[in-house]
Amino acid sequence: MQGACAVRIDKKQRGWAVASLVIFAVFTAWYSAYAVHAPSGGWGGSALGLTFGAIGFAFMVFAALLGARKRVPVWRIGRAQAWMRGHLWLGLLSLPVILFHGGFHFGGTLTSILMWLLIITVVSGVLGAALQHYVPRVMTTDVKLETIYDEIGNVQKLLREEADRGVESICGPLGVGKSASEEVLRAGGLSAARSMSIVSSGGAVAAAAETVMLTEEECAFLRKFYLGEMRPFLERPRQRRSRLGDADKAHGAFSGLRTVMPQSAQATLEDLEDICDEARQLVRQEQLHHLLHGWLLVHIPLSLTLILLGAVHAVMALRY
Amino acid sequence: MGKGYSARIAFDLNAPMGDSTCISCGECMVSCPTGALTNKTVVGTSITAGPDAQGFEAEELLQLPVFKGISGTFLELNRGAIVKRRFQPGEIICREGEFGSTAFYILEGKARVSLSAPIAHVKTQGGAKGLFKKLTSTLAARDADVRSEETRDRTIPIDASVDLAYGNPVAELGPGDLFGEMTCMNFYPRSATVLADTDVVAFEMLRNVLDIMMKNKSFRAQIDQNYRQRALENHLRGVPMFADLSPDFIEHLKGSVELQRFAPGQVIARQGDAAKNFYLVRIGFVKISETYAGGELVLAYLSRGDYFGEIGLLAGGVRTATCTALDHVEVVRISDDDFRNMVKRFPSVRQGLEVVAAERGAQNQQRMQTVRSVPIDQFLSQGLMQAQSLLILDLQNCTRCDACVNACADAHDGITRLVREGLRFEQYLVATSCRQCRDPLCMVGCPVGSIRRRNSLEVIIEDWCIGCGLCARNCPYGNINLHPFEVMVEDLERPGRKKAVVKQKATSCDLCTHLKEPSCVYACPHDAAHRVDPRTFFSEMLGGGAAK
Repeated sequence: MQGACAVRIDKKQRGWAVASLVIFAVFTAWYSAYAVHAPSGGWGGSALGLTFGAIGFAFMVFAALLGARKRVPVWRIGRAQAWMRGHLWLGLLSLPVILFHGGFHFGGTLTSILMWLLIITVVSGVLGAALQHYVPRVMTTDVKLETIYDEIGNVQKLLREEADRGVESICGPLGVGKSASEEVLRAGGLSAARSMSIVSSGGAVAAAAETVMLTEEECAFLRKFYLGEMRPFLERPRQRRSRLGDADKAHGAFSGLRTVMPQSAQATLEDLEDICDEARQLVRQEQLHHLLHGWLLVHIPLSLTLILLGAVHAVMALRY
Repeated sequence: MGKGYSARIAFDLNAPMGDSTCISCGECMVSCPTGALTNKTVVGTSITAGPDAQGFEAEELLQLPVFKGISGTFLELNRGAIVKRRFQPGEIICREGEFGSTAFYILEGKARVSLSAPIAHVKTQGGAKGLFKKLTSTLAARDADVRSEETRDRTIPIDASVDLAYGNPVAELGPGDLFGEMTCMNFYPRSATVLADTDVVAFEMLRNVLDIMMKNKSFRAQIDQNYRQRALENHLRGVPMFADLSPDFIEHLKGSVELQRFAPGQVIARQGDAAKNFYLVRIGFVKISETYAGGELVLAYLSRGDYFGEIGLLAGGVRTATCTALDHVEVVRISDDDFRNMVKRFPSVRQGLEVVAAERGAQNQQRMQTVRSVPIDQFLSQGLMQAQSLLILDLQNCTRCDACVNACADAHDGITRLVREGLRFEQYLVATSCRQCRDPLCMVGCPVGSIRRRNSLEVIIEDWCIGCGLCARNCPYGNINLHPFEVMVEDLERPGRKKAVVKQKATSCDLCTHLKEPSCVYACPHDAAHRVDPRTFFSEMLGGGAAK
């Protein structure tokens, strides 16, 4: 458990962590010495306060530049990893430094907004770092059949088509709508799949693939399950109502189906169960992907607003 | 097979006709004394006729000297599989890169064969020298961008009785010349553009007709003579060790060598057999492989102008590898006696051979040590040990941000050479990016032999790539892309004028050698992307596992 869940500060992070701790310790000592002797406590307009403010703002600007760095990935201006570590550690340091800058006072309207923006940005960043540390491992374990996120829709469509073909191969046409690509596949795919076999009478004949059609009664049972439950699930796999969305319940459903279907249908049922499993995995991948990247929808706009308002604050405070 | 009542038709070792080596030539029907064997036309085989095409009756064809000895019944049964075409001056007979299934034999007139693709390779530049210099992919000729171990500085192999000079890739074809043989027999793309210089009269034929004609002694002799006169010397001189042979010895070789044909799958030389001959490839592809305890490793695919068999001859020993015809192959065989005579007369040949033998021996030993040190059977099924360089993504670190893909696209004019999808091995994803395979399937079928590998086994695409896309189709991992470039070329239909066309060049991962480190690895913010040597990477992993 510890190995899987502990935050991994490997050798590459160690340098940054140690340097950040040293900087924090030095600044803390510096501020403490200042605050103890200051007549009205620390405040942003003092020399030390302005120094802390400038340093803190510089840390924030560097952290924000990571976005720009990612736009020019091939420019040789430092490895992306180094920029990411700088972003994490200097971004984290900016919070105490700005607190030192303001003497732990939130001040007026603008400065209060800035402080809250900074706190939320840093907290969202820490949360994002944690998510980006743990979620990839979960995704690697839970989603064995992972695909590229942008291709999930295509893969789901292909799964539906594969399931349709599987059921139709033993039950006949289902009467569901087909895509153009599927029609093309049907035109040549089935005949191309036929294998040539030598028949003992001495001639070579094209043998059809071994499929045994089910009886009407068996077909009706399978069709009812497929059209009533499985196909709607494959069309909208994120819906929670379907029992096929749960691995255990799905397994139970297919086990029950196996007991009433003949031997000739077992291979198809196995394929259908695998398709459902893959569909569930893709849903899980989507969820984890949103978790991995969704927090950026908060973090990035807030950080840009923070930089902008911080610049406004700096100009106004220095000028007026 | 069988006799009497139980007799039946069978092909090869009782394979179905469609799976056998039968080419539907109809000779069995010609030979059948009772006429029991007959031809049923299931699919009409005929070349599309046009206003310039003229079909034949068998009697008319038999009047022509080139058809002397061909079975009249065969020609009758295959009417439509050979037509006579007339081309006016300036008319294009065939274009490079187009797929086809016919060969041409010139009866009258002269034609010009050339490459219209720019003789240059894709070079990515910019970025490294300045922050604001955009990375662009351009075409660079050899003198503008020298790459180590580039080969074939003399001739470009094409599918005709001549080869093209690198500096001026134009040659002339005349009466008695055959071109398009590889396209016809093996369905490879056309290797060059052929343009009628004068009024040209040519036969266009399908594979079954060409095959019968190649079996005909008089036609065969004429083709062989053309090859010996026009291309053989260039091929011989193309072997580095033969560069200093005297003209009289070359003339002797031209007369004494034998041309041998091999069917697809036929073994030319087997590993462990006594070494007897030296071979030059005239057409087709030859697979060179080594067998070891765990399976087979493909060392190379050789095409027109390449050679093999010299190492075994030097030591008077055995073949160190198995050489197999991948398709319809024709080789030039230099006999043991001629080879020894050559080595005796020209010490430089022996010296060159010894250097090559030493290098090959070291490479073989290193390769075998690698192969034996890792339980590769586990990885062979995934093809991972076939690779020399893998892009591995550690899925436990990877946040699926696609920074690697974006960086690759940025480094190559917007066309990524990497896809973040592929095989998974434990927590690692083997991304789709050129693996520098030990079995480079991409090389099979290149009509101009432009995709090859350096001595380091890294895949290189030479300047004369014609952009046909066959290598991209052959790569089982989808790792080769076609990069379009706008170039100005001669307008063949309006001589003296140029026109802008889009030409494609095959590209694959080049490890960003112009930037010293792969951009995908450089741009990954989470330490997830790594370029690894699978030998050391997997042996470390397996070694750690075994220790447990």
